[in-house]
Order: sequence, then C-alpha cells, then structure tokens
Amino acid sequence: MWVKLAGKLFAREFRRGELTIIFAAIALAVLTVFSLSSITERISLNIEQKSSDFIAADRRLSSNHAFEPLILTKAKEFGLNTAEMLFFDSMLFANDELVLGSVKAVSNEYPLRGKVTIKDNISSQPFDVEHGPQPGSVWLSEGLFYTLGVNVGDNVELGAGIFNIAKVLVKEPDSPFFSLSGNKRVLLNYQDIPATQAVQAGSRVFHRLLFSGDDQQLTDYYQWLKPQMKSNQNWQGIKDRQSPLGNNLDRAERFLLLAGLFGIMLAAVAMAVSAKRYCERQYDPVAMMKTLGGSRRVIRNIYLLHLSLVTGFSIIAGFAVGYFLQSVAGEYLAQFMGTELPQAGIRPWVLSAAIGIVCALMFSLKPLLDLFDIPPLRVLRRNLGDTIAISRIHITISLLTIFVLMWVFSGELVTTLILFGSTLLVIAILFGISRLIFAAGRRLGLSPGSSWSLAIATLQKRANANAIQLISFALAIKLMLFLVVLKNDIISDWQMQVPSDAPNMFIVNINENEVEPIKQFFNENDIAHEAFYPVFSGRIDAVNGEEYSRRVSKQEGEEKDEEARDGVSREPNLTWLDELPEGNDIIEGQWFTGGDEIEVSVFEGWREVLNLELGDSISILVNEQEVIAKVTSFRTVDWGTLKPNFVMILSPNMAGTVPVTYFSAAQLSDSHTKGISQLLQRYPTISMIDIKAQIEQAQSIIGQVSLAIGFVLSIVLVSGALVLISQVQASLAERLQEVVILRTLGAKGRLIKLATLYEFLLLGAIAGLVAAIVSDLVLMIIQQQLFAVDGKLHPYIWLLGPTSGAIFVAMIGYFMVANTMKQNTQGLLRKIA
Amino acid sequence: MSVLSQLNVIQVSGLTKSVNTLEGNLTILSDINFAVKSGESVAIVGASGSGKSTLLSLLAGLDVATKGEVHLDGDALSTLDEEARAQVRAQKIGFVFQSFMLVQSLTALENVMLPAELAGDHDAKAQALELLDKVGLSHRLEHYPSQLSGGEQQRVAIARAFIGSPKILFADEPSANLDSKNGHLIEKLLFDLNKQNGTTLVLVTHDELLAKQCQRIIHIEAGQLEKISEGVSANVG
Repeated sequence: MWVKLAGKLFAREFRRGELTIIFAAIALAVLTVFSLSSITERISLNIEQKSSDFIAADRRLSSNHAFEPLILTKAKEFGLNTAEMLFFDSMLFANDELVLGSVKAVSNEYPLRGKVTIKDNISSQPFDVEHGPQPGSVWLSEGLFYTLGVNVGDNVELGAGIFNIAKVLVKEPDSPFFSLSGNKRVLLNYQDIPATQAVQAGSRVFHRLLFSGDDQQLTDYYQWLKPQMKSNQNWQGIKDRQSPLGNNLDRAERFLLLAGLFGIMLAAVAMAVSAKRYCERQYDPVAMMKTLGGSRRVIRNIYLLHLSLVTGFSIIAGFAVGYFLQSVAGEYLAQFMGTELPQAGIRPWVLSAAIGIVCALMFSLKPLLDLFDIPPLRVLRRNLGDTIAISRIHITISLLTIFVLMWVFSGELVTTLILFGSTLLVIAILFGISRLIFAAGRRLGLSPGSSWSLAIATLQKRANANAIQLISFALAIKLMLFLVVLKNDIISDWQMQVPSDAPNMFIVNINENEVEPIKQFFNENDIAHEAFYPVFSGRIDAVNGEEYSRRVSKQEGEEKDEEARDGVSREPNLTWLDELPEGNDIIEGQWFTGGDEIEVSVFEGWREVLNLELGDSISILVNEQEVIAKVTSFRTVDWGTLKPNFVMILSPNMAGTVPVTYFSAAQLSDSHTKGISQLLQRYPTISMIDIKAQIEQAQSIIGQVSLAIGFVLSIVLVSGALVLISQVQASLAERLQEVVILRTLGAKGRLIKLATLYEFLLLGAIAGLVAAIVSDLVLMIIQQQLFAVDGKLHPYIWLLGPTSGAIFVAMIGYFMVANTMKQNTQGLLRKIA
Repeated sequence: MSVLSQLNVIQVSGLTKSVNTLEGNLTILSDINFAVKSGESVAIVGASGSGKSTLLSLLAGLDVATKGEVHLDGDALSTLDEEARAQVRAQKIGFVFQSFMLVQSLTALENVMLPAELAGDHDAKAQALELLDKVGLSHRLEHYPSQLSGGEQQRVAIARAFIGSPKILFADEPSANLDSKNGHLIEKLLFDLNKQNGTTLVLVTHDELLAKQCQRIIHIEAGQLEKISEGVSANVG
C-alpha cells in the first residue's frame, strides 16, 4: 500500500518541481563526472597513443649489449608485438663522397606505433607509411642526398654492402628530440645488417627492442622481465621520456584532474544545499502523516523510495546528457585532430553512477534522518523541528564525503588536501567577512521606500542564509576563476615554450673555423639563429678521486634511484659558457667567478645520483686528457623548452684547452632550401637536424590539449552556473513569502523586482570580489605546488570576479523573481498557505 | 477497569505538562482530571495561552504528559511509544486543524484517502469518494489544495478526518481561519457528520458560541481546569 502512496507522492512532487533541484544536482554530478571522465579518458587514450607514436611502441628496452633471445620469445608468449632495432655508425660512399652515416636498422614490424614519413624524391610531397625499407634498400635523410650528391634510385655503399636508395626519409616517429648525435640518418632493414659487415665484435652499437600490447600484458611482461634485467638495460615507457611534450601532457592531465575535482565540488555543493532544502519542505507532510497514524517505518520507506527513484532518474538523465556532451566534444576534437578518438571504457559509467549514488546517499542521509524525527506535534506547533535544519553532523558528513570523493577521483592525497584545505579556509574567511559586511550594511542610511533600502534590509534580515548563499556563490565563482586563470596561464606558458619563431633546425658538428662563415651566411640570408655553443664530449672518470662506476653502483638495487640513474650518461655533451642560459636557475652556489680554476655548474638532477656537493672535484676525460673541474653551482633546467640544454656547463677558461665542435640552431623556411644545400656542399662535415616535424607535432598536441581544456572548462562553468541557479532557487521559497506580503501591502512589482535585482547584484559582486581575492592567493600556491610554474598575481580577475559575479547572480535572481511577479497575489497567497 | 470507565472513551487523570525554559521550569497544564463518554461532544475553551492546544495534543497522543495519564479507548497513552501511539491514532482518531494541514502535492481525493492508505485500507477510494460527496466536493476531486478556497480546504480536511470511521475526532479551532459564513458552514458540517457517525468530538476553540453547540464545555485557565459546564445541546443528544 505504501508503495502506491509513495509512487503517487513522488510523481506529484516531481511534477510540482519539489524534486527538481535535487534531481538536477545529482544529474549534474553524474553528467559532470561522466562527461569529464569520458572525455579525459578518451583524450588521454589518444594522447597515450600519440605518445606511444613518439617511441614507436608502448614500451622499449635499450642496451649497448645484445639481448638474450629469451627476452623476445617471452614477450611473444605474453602476447606482445615486438620489433628489433640496432643503431650504429657506418661510412656511406657514393660519387666519390664519403660520409659517416647514423644507421638505424629496423625489423619488418617497425614501427609498432606511429608512422614513418617519407618522400618519393627530394621535391615530392611527403606521405606516411607503417613500415621500414625492404631488404636491399635504404632510406636516407635529406641532408645525405646533398652531401653525397645522390638521387632516389641511385646506389650507395654502406659498410661492405651496396644498397638501393629507395626513399627520402622525412620523419621517424621515434626520432630523438634533442640528440646531438642524431647524425645523418640511414634507415636500413634489420636483415641487411650482416651485409654491411659494419657490426663486429667490439663495435659501438646500440640495441633496442620495441613492445606493444595492452596494459595488462605489458605489466605482466615487465613483472617477468624486471628480475632478469641487467644494469646496462633500460626499460622505458611513454611517461619516462624527458621531453617538453611529456611535461606538457603531465600538466594537462593535472589540469583536467583539477577541473574534474572542481566539477565534483560544485555538484556536491548543489547536492548538499538541495537535499537539505527538499527535506525541510517535507517537514509538514511528514508531521501530518505521523499525526494521521503513519508509522515511522512507512514514512521511512516512502522517502527512501523517493530518494532511490530520484537518484535512478538523475543518473539516467546524467548519463544521457553526459553522453551527448562527450560525443559532441569527442566529435569536435576528432575533427580537429584529424583522428578518431578511442572510445572510453566502462570506467566513466561506473564512476559517475557510483558518485551519483554516493552523493544522493551521503548528502541526503542526515536531512532524511532528521525528517523521520519530525514530531507529529508540529501540526499544532508550527516551528517544532525547525531547529534541526542546521546540523553540524550534516555539514561534517557532507564535507567528509566531498573530501573522500575528491580523493577517490583524483587518487592524489596531496592535491586533494591542498584544494580541500584552501576551500575550508575560504569558507571560514567568507563567513567572517559576510557577517561583517552585513553588519556594516545596517549603518547605511538610505531613504525608506527605495529599492536599494529594501534590498539592503533584505540582505540584513537573512544574514545567516545570505552568508551561506554568499559562500556558495563565492565558491562557484572561485572555482571558475581558478580554471580560467590556470587555462590561460598553462596555454600561454606552452605557447612560450614552442613559440612560432622557434628554431626548427639544429646545426651540429661545426668546426671552429666554420663558425664565422656560417654566421655570415645566416646574416646575409636573414636567417634567425641561436648562439654558437662549443660542444665536446667528455667521460666522467671520477668524483673527488673516487671512480665513477663505484660511485654510481653504490646505489645499486635502490628502486627509487633506478630511473634517475638511467638518465645519467657517462659521456654527456659538455660546453662552456660565459652566461647562465635561459631556462636555467642556480639553486645553490654561484655562477663562475672567473678564477684560474676550472669550474662546473651541474644540473640539479645529477647531484643526487652522483651524490655531489659544492666544492667536489669532478675528473673528466676529454680525448685522454684529464680535466679537473670544481663544482661551484647546481642548476635547475627547464627541459620543456626547445633550446639546447646541458647537464654540465664548464667555465669559459676551458676555451682552447680541448678540441670542440660548435652547435647552433636556426629558423629556416622553404625559401632557404637552395642556400642550405649550397652550405652543406661547402661544409660537408656539418650536420643539420630538422626538428620542424617535432615542433609541428608538439604544437599540434598543445593545440588539442588546449581545446580539451577549453571544453572541460566550459563544462565546469555550466556546473558552476547550475550551482548558482540551485542556490537562488532554494532561497526562492523564503522569498516568496516576503513577496506575497509586500504585494499584499501594495508594493509595486517594479519595486520588488528592482530590490531583488540590487540584492543579487550586491551579493554577486561581494561573492565575486571575495572569490577573486582568495582565488588569486590560493592560485599562487596551486601553481607553484601542482604546476611547477612561478605564482603570480592576476589583476584581471579582480575585475572579472565581481563583475561577472554581479551580472550572473543578478540575472538569475531577477528572472526567477520576475517570474513570480506574473502570478496574482491571491495565487501566491494560496501557494504559501 | 470499572464499567463506568469503560463507557468513557477518554479518561484523563492528574494530567500535568511542564517544559524547561531558559527561565526555569514552566507548568503549562496542572493536574487536569475529566472524562469524555463515547459519542459525546466536548468543547475545550480558554483564552490564548491557557493550555488548551497542549491539552488537545496530549489527548491525541501527539505529545507526552509529564505526569498523569490519558486513557484513550482503553489504551493508556503514557505506556505507549511514538509508534504505538501512531497506531492508536490511525485506528481511532480523526483530526481537523485550524490551518487545514493538507498535503499540497496531493489532490482533494488523495488527501482524504491518505489516512486510510497509511493504515493499509484497500477500500480507501470508495470511502473517500463518499465522504467528499457528503461534504459537497464531489466536483473538486482532482483539485489540489492551492486550487481550493479556504472553506473548501477545510471541508476536505473534515472528509479526511472521518475516513476510516474514527471513534474520536479532535478539532483544533476548525473555523478560526474562515470568514463567518464559511465558518458556520464548516461547524454545521462537522456536527452533522459527527452525529451521523456517532463519533466522540473534542473541539478546541475560544469561540463561546461554537463551544455551546457541544454537550459539555471544559474551561481551562492558566493551565488549570476551571470548571466543566453543559452546552446548549446537552439535552439534545
């Protein structure tokens, strides 16, 4: 019997709009989580795929020694796809020209991810293929065509073998970003290695295995592989790669995560407010039902069924809208990216439904329990039960739920703590401020009967309710401002990293006597270029007299240092410089003092691995010549820039003591092609590394991620707007009574509407201002802690906050109250009866 | 229990209600004793704040006494918990309130059906239709409270009060929110239905004229039972 009654009550309450707010709040939580997690999952799957393209695989294993055959057979047993690669240098000979080529031999499965870009000849259009050269042929990079004076179809001698030049190699998916050893590339079929006879015992070669498969297969395989791995073997995934892209993706992920958290927080605020409101509005019917003999059990069943039904409908609605939103966004992003976005798995469905249920339960539980406690005597004493409306337990449960949801959703305790803590602080500050402002408002003397004085009187009268409303408004505005600022900062930061005038060609292997003529050539042809850095290779022999190998092996077996040690090459590229390069910051010690001693400034990341301290002396072997350098500073290096970076920079008094080549970077356009080929012919030993493709790739990914961020931001903005609407709607019932009294007393609709407009303008402006001030301060912490960028103030949000807050809140409030004005007073009187 | 007390559908003995306030203990009702016979109509009168509504709440089991006892059709209310008292209300009591207390999201018909539905009565609709016809609202079945006038809302409340044929009907200032014409109509309807159903009526009012329509009048002043007098209809029933 109660089911029928509950169903009837539910249908009516729903139709009357009593459940709209609660429905919208749960649906909002579900759709926010669903669309955010779907789109972020789809984007991150796509980004992961793209990133996999950058290593031409999902994982790779590298070593300067050949691998045991078991490593490959086991990988196949685990269901992984594999490919083999071998890197070595060998002489190329054609047309009486002899050049040292950088050979990359690839098996037929290469690339496992991504595509190789090639051209049929120098002047034709590039296109993508998913394989390497056929046995018996080679693909050469463009520079080699100029140096050797060959064309496609000619033969070239590589070591002891003769190969047909089949294509011009434009881009390898896994081409190195910053490698200075990335000389003139020759792509060779793996089967042809023996024919070159270039790989003999003791040859300097580099082996690499590529793997692809699903996450589980890769993890299982790595579990097997890990114990067998030797110290000279290096296992790499997408995220291990130190590149500007990796850093940017990391930041994008953090931003999307943050946006997701904000979405949840906003939905949670809406939910907590609406659940409390709904339950308060049910006090009278519950008291009545109890008076008429309804048992506690029946009443509990009725309202729990209501909650289940509204949760179920909201989840379905949230799914529907969320699915639509993410489809539209996915379609748009796919068009922009020119690729299909992979479909998200089951996670967004489960996660969002779970969050919907948790929200409904946790934010409604306490108000519902209070509801069951409403005494029947309320039918005679109307204010009985009102005191339980403000419940510390409800607030505590709600806050705890928000915290746990944020934690579960982000999986990061620190991020959650920073955001949650700052939000609590904001609430405390806002509550204090709002009380002060409303108290101060009492002293304002305004002429009676004016809309302004009515507005201020209303604000004062509802000081407590307004404080809560103000906090919700400010919180929503704060979160929105946060994201607007972060989006702008992150994107402009990225654009700075890859500016449109970034150098797109590295020029390496320049002899000292070639520096001036090349500089002159650049100047004559108006080619923008970087400085010419002296570069030399040195072998780190010892630190304070202790052998390098012993020093590094001290930490053998320590898991945490494994990755760090992988990054430490024994033969780094070294330079000497007068000034600290851009993007470097000294964190300890000082830049070169100009004394007689040779000094060295070391990248911070190497300090821990080599266990260095200021004043240590590093012994470096340069062509059998020992150089002792004293560590005088440690630097941070922004690896995110497309500029040359060095882990060790020596003092300029090194000049003339060791043989060096020079390195520079320039921005070249198609119009320079002819001049460049002349330059290459004149100085055949120099090498040009074209990073145009990489820059374009980076810019394209940044573009996609910026677009994704824009989309996520707009979802959060909509969520924020809905919070504001739900909050205004929640207060509408209270307002209705006043409107009726004022109307009955003969107040003009215009006066009431204007008073409402001013009231909401004031509320919105105050909320916006407070939100702007707090956001800017908290932003500084967030930017430093989460995004590792310098925190700075953003004056524009100090204007944007109050203005947008005032306009937005006033608009919503005005339209909602104006709508009420359309009804006649008698109708309103009955409505509140 | 004596034969006499069995005839009394309400037996009140030594009823006291006090509450704790900031200024100390406040006694609202003190040592009230009276009995109401089955089918009798009784008015409780007194000035505002005299304690008459508190008395009604104790008689109906909406609140619990500090001391003393109310026997309602044989049930000692002080021995029952809230759930059991609700059960008693569902089976034996009907209510009419000054502010109608209709559930806004239910139609007139559904409001009348509500107590019967809560009691699990399968015949609720037929009973409700009959009662609404009796109160002259058979043309307003699907109207919501906000679409009805005050008088009409109170008629719905009266129909609701009689569903399930309660033994006792408690009415709290049933006509106070209505104009005199509608007020009189409602009063007449209440007494007529009461007579037809043989219900015991306990009416709280400050209106002496309305009170006189009852068989007996209990006068409450400052929480004390001042006197019990007979109404004009004392010899009629």
